[in-house]
Amino acid sequence: MRRALWCLAAAGFVFGVIDLALILTSEFAPDRELSTALGLLIGWGFVGAGLFAWARRPDNRVGMLMTATGFAWFLAGLSLSDIPLLFVIGAAFGSLYFATAIHMLLAAPQGRLQSRSEKRIVGLGYVLTALVVPVLFVFVDPERDMECVDCPENVLYIASSETLVRVVSVAVNFVGLLLVVFVLVSLVLRLLRASAPERRLYAPVYAAGVALMITLIAILVLQSTSVSNEADGVVSTVALVPLALMPYLFLASFVRARMFQTGAVGELIARLGEAPHPGDLRDALAQALGDPSLELVYWLPDDKRFVDAVGAPFDLPSDGSGRAVTKVEQEGECVAAIVYDAMLRDARDHVRAVGAAAALALKNERLDAELRAKVGELRSSRQRMLSIGLEERRRLERDLHDGAQQRLVSMALNLRVARDKLRDEPDAAEGLLEGASHELDAALAELRELARGIHPAVLSDRGLDTALETLASRAPVPVELAALPGERLPEAVELAAYYVVSEALTNVAKYADASHAVVDIGRDNGRLVVAVSDDGVGGADPEQGTGLRGLADRLAVIEGRLEVDSERGRGTKITARIPCG
Amino acid sequence: MLLECEGFVVVGEAENGHAALRAVRELQPDLVLLDVQLPDIDGTEVAARLAEANGASPAVILTSSRDLQDIGALSGVRGFIPKSELSGAALEALL
Repeated sequence: MRRALWCLAAAGFVFGVIDLALILTSEFAPDRELSTALGLLIGWGFVGAGLFAWARRPDNRVGMLMTATGFAWFLAGLSLSDIPLLFVIGAAFGSLYFATAIHMLLAAPQGRLQSRSEKRIVGLGYVLTALVVPVLFVFVDPERDMECVDCPENVLYIASSETLVRVVSVAVNFVGLLLVVFVLVSLVLRLLRASAPERRLYAPVYAAGVALMITLIAILVLQSTSVSNEADGVVSTVALVPLALMPYLFLASFVRARMFQTGAVGELIARLGEAPHPGDLRDALAQALGDPSLELVYWLPDDKRFVDAVGAPFDLPSDGSGRAVTKVEQEGECVAAIVYDAMLRDARDHVRAVGAAAALALKNERLDAELRAKVGELRSSRQRMLSIGLEERRRLERDLHDGAQQRLVSMALNLRVARDKLRDEPDAAEGLLEGASHELDAALAELRELARGIHPAVLSDRGLDTALETLASRAPVPVELAALPGERLPEAVELAAYYVVSEALTNVAKYADASHAVVDIGRDNGRLVVAVSDDGVGGADPEQGTGLRGLADRLAVIEGRLEVDSERGRGTKITARIPCG
Repeated sequence: MLLECEGFVVVGEAENGHAALRAVRELQPDLVLLDVQLPDIDGTEVAARLAEANGASPAVILTSSRDLQDIGALSGVRGFIPKSELSGAALEALL
């Protein structure tokens, strides 16, 4: 790549020298000194600045388009040659550089045309300058149509058609005028709408583009109204000034950005040294990058998501949203991400440098954001726990009311009936007493079941292993207990683990359509890892339904986490990580 | 419906206590099922009047969990069954 660019640089230099020689020896070139000086200034300027930008940003087409404009300019210079073939090539393709310059202006600064209408306009420019005008040239008599008595003969000339040349020339001028007006309007709109970083970097380039388009409009209007050749010549020369300035303005904006960036990093480091208050960091980075819209978001490795400074979840913007993202890493670990105006995308290295300078401060602020996120999470999980608690109490009241209480009422009444019948109808009384005995058993069983829902006695009496064995034996689906802790754990941990397995096995029985389930409990880095997997239909969503959500909330209270892996058709695996206290 | 599936024949229904008394007089059923609370008079009152009129139709009363209060005399009542537990077997156990 680099070698190819050097070859292009050499070719540009040689092309310039050839143009110089041709112009100096030309017998008909007007304003020889001015043409020569401006010609070289413009050609070499575009080729040089273009190659520099191309080398620095190979993925940005602006550099390539600038280089192409330089070569197209040298190509136009051939029209001043006395050698007929070179003269014809130069004259036929003499306006190609307009098309490349317009392409470059519309594609800047990101190197891509933004809209379909821009693509059409640029395409039209190429059709006019690289196809219509060269084809028309086979009908052009330089002496008659270009009013150039000393020009060499047109070696492509095949037929004379003065009317055709006139009509097509007027049409080309008219379409060219519309095209230039479109570019002018686009550039003015860009100047008006530019974000702060864009304006800072590219306003001079846009301004030069606007000036060039205005002078081009003047040229085209003068040509079509056929005022004086003198006025035409003056305006044409004036138009060269913004064109000549353009590559240098591009270069200046590039260098200015680099200088600004270098200074900004130094200033940022100095500001960070003053121990910024929380929240100041964003302002410092926004200033360092010249982008007031800059956002700082922090990576929470436990939650595997980004949050903003107040701890609210943040989704990174997608491509084409006008925002760019640079992640900041420290010791190979993602700490934060800087979200900024996509106009600064070319300054990605700079953003990275700014991020690196601020990495330590970012790490500190991340802790702050993490804390806020946790507080927010706890607040909402506390709310949910509260409503779950109320709902559980309501369910308990309902179960007691519809079950044991109803049985006990009927039993109490039956005992009264039995007492009344004891003398006269002893058989009936005996039947009632027997019935009451069954009812009492049933009521006791129901109460026992309810109590187990509140707190399983077997867990506190005999520990997690036995409690889980009981759960497994009662489950309607075969359950394999692959590994159990084998020792007593803090009560809160055992209870949480028990509920994870209990809820997971309930879900397996209700929804999974599984043939068996596996419970696996191990330790990892000070946490109890409880995993329940099945070979069922999958597709469980913790956001839907209250079971898994409630479980996650129950775990959040003791700093535990719940992960649900349940791809449709591939079974479900529920993993809880519970700090062992 | 449930009882019909279990071989019982429902010969009539009534919407309150007085209608029940009239229906029992006309239809002479083998068994009367009553709620504790009826729109006009209580189920236990209906059972007591049935027992006074003719002791032939034993009454079984279905209970809910709030029915323990305000229950007076239980003459004529064969037994109580929780509403949620009503079944042929539960009835037969009382007859």
